[in-house]
Amino acid sequence: MAKVSFRNVWKKYGDMPAVKDLNIECPDGSFLSVLGPSGCGKSSTMRMVAGLEHITSGQILFDERPINDLAPKDRDVAMVFENYALYPHKSVYENMANPLKLRGQDASVIKERVTAAAKLLEINHLLERRPQELSGGQKQRVAIGRAIVREPNLFLFDEPIAHLDAKLRAHMRGEIKHLQRTLGTTMIYVTHDQLEAMSMADTIAVMHDGELQQLGTPREVYNHPVNAWVAGFVGEPAMNFVDVGVEDRAGRTHFTHQNFSVPVTEEQQRRVSNGSRESALRMGVRPDALSISMTKPSESCITGKIFVTELLGGDMIVDVDLDDCRIRVKTSTEFAGEEGQTCYMTVNTNKWHAFSKENGKAFF
Amino acid sequence: MASRDVIQYETPLSKAFRWFSAVFLAFYVVWTVLPLFVMFMSSFKDLLEAFKLPAVGDWAGVTVFFDFTPTTKHYYELFAHLGFSTYLFNSLVAAGGSALVSVVLGSMCAYSLSRIDFKGKGDLFFWIISTRMAPVVAVMVPLYWIFRQLDLVGTLPGLILAYTTFNLPFAIWILKGFFDNVPYAIEEAQMVDGATRFQALRAILPLVAPGIGAFIVLCILFAWNDYLFAAIIGSGGAKTLPAATRELVQPQNIQWGQIMAAGVVTTLPMMFLGLVIRKYLVTGLTMGAVKE
Repeated sequence: MAKVSFRNVWKKYGDMPAVKDLNIECPDGSFLSVLGPSGCGKSSTMRMVAGLEHITSGQILFDERPINDLAPKDRDVAMVFENYALYPHKSVYENMANPLKLRGQDASVIKERVTAAAKLLEINHLLERRPQELSGGQKQRVAIGRAIVREPNLFLFDEPIAHLDAKLRAHMRGEIKHLQRTLGTTMIYVTHDQLEAMSMADTIAVMHDGELQQLGTPREVYNHPVNAWVAGFVGEPAMNFVDVGVEDRAGRTHFTHQNFSVPVTEEQQRRVSNGSRESALRMGVRPDALSISMTKPSESCITGKIFVTELLGGDMIVDVDLDDCRIRVKTSTEFAGEEGQTCYMTVNTNKWHAFSKENGKAFF
Repeated sequence: MASRDVIQYETPLSKAFRWFSAVFLAFYVVWTVLPLFVMFMSSFKDLLEAFKLPAVGDWAGVTVFFDFTPTTKHYYELFAHLGFSTYLFNSLVAAGGSALVSVVLGSMCAYSLSRIDFKGKGDLFFWIISTRMAPVVAVMVPLYWIFRQLDLVGTLPGLILAYTTFNLPFAIWILKGFFDNVPYAIEEAQMVDGATRFQALRAILPLVAPGIGAFIVLCILFAWNDYLFAAIIGSGGAKTLPAATRELVQPQNIQWGQIMAAGVVTTLPMMFLGLVIRKYLVTGLTMGAVKE
């Protein structure tokens, strides 16, 4: 087990930077999720840790020991690949035994470890089979099994459950998190699925265009996104963004729009006026921070027209047209509005956000 | 997975085509198998019996062909007096040795070409292939001169080297395609598991076994059936079966019986090899392990 540190790590393919000046500290035994869309540099980051790619500049350290120049086999990491990368000509048992065999373990030790890992993953009845005889979920378990048979410094999981169906994915999220807690091994988990990152990780590193956007706990990333990009990427349904004007009325800052004018709180007013002289900015509000009703509750509400309603079992999503954009509101299934009707939305001003229009940075 | 069945619907045309194919294949089988059959039968016949033929158009007279007293004297003659056991050994060593050298060097070279990107890779690859494009006769004279200087003429190592010259580019060409089809992730997984690069290469060799099998067959066939190299570079100390068979055609008489027996001795090992290696030629070993 090890602490992993990234110090000013760069990865360039030719002149194209894939990872730019990455700095992350991942404490021993913690679960770090690297989250971002495809092409954001998250896989390059993981492959640099595994030793499958050279580090262009900067350092990666395990417990203060630089590992830049170590071959993969000397780094003692265990990796689960997105495409499983099982050995097709070997049985499940031989697949899982491979890392131990390569490290020269005794046959009896190998048998004991493989059996224990197989039992933990509930694949002990599959040990004689070949990979092509397994289902996607089983292959994925074998790939995890191959990683956990030894006690590595670090687990690297590269989108291991991306190819599974939705139900199995939800199940495996819980299993992997439990496994990591049980074994207590440091884990770096790469994913493009914000739900996986939110639900499993201790710390999330959100990446975009090769740059680390935000490093924080799932709560911090969700509740206090540092910029509009993170705010829009994390959370499902996604955050609504509305371009608003900033006006002072009777000493209080209001966010104004054709459809509404809402005052900010005192604390928020201080942050906006300290941070910028912009007369316009982007307001961000999550669908669950809005409440919708068919009667006008107050003067400072948002007026719109219902575009469509989507019933999601326990919740309902209402798409509402404003004059220049469309926003989504999460409400209860009792909501009785019909398409085309005028509706009124109240913002929970403790849970909204404001971002600079210029650079996307968050004021609050 | 969807059904693998190829759906076909019967039409008059397809029916006619099926008949045509059956007739064509029947002729083709006769065309290819009959000479081998005649060779096999004649090798067990005395010279007089071998030339007993029915008159043209006398189909009932075909039985004459089977009317003989089997004798193994031609085989006895070949191995007891004409030294064919040595020639058989030479053929085996030359073909097997060249196949082995080509497979070892070829798979390493093909692996590098498949996995590593470097400047001029395309040109290098084409150059390797182009060495195979020249006809053997074209390079024979300079090659002979070089081999003479190195004292390799008439030796088995010389013959192995000569065959390898032609087999190696072929090996690289075939095997590169097979290595290209093995997902790199499998080696990466091996390396993360604790393998060196070389161990990772060894670990994926079973996945290119069909390619290696196919290549070994083709390589051995090339060397085994070769006459030109055998006659010129192997002549003297490293005579192989085809060269030795040629010598049975003597100015005074042609030893038909022994030639037929030599033909059987030359053909049988190759047929046997084909049967043995057949299972390696079945591809599709990587299916299902790596999700694309």
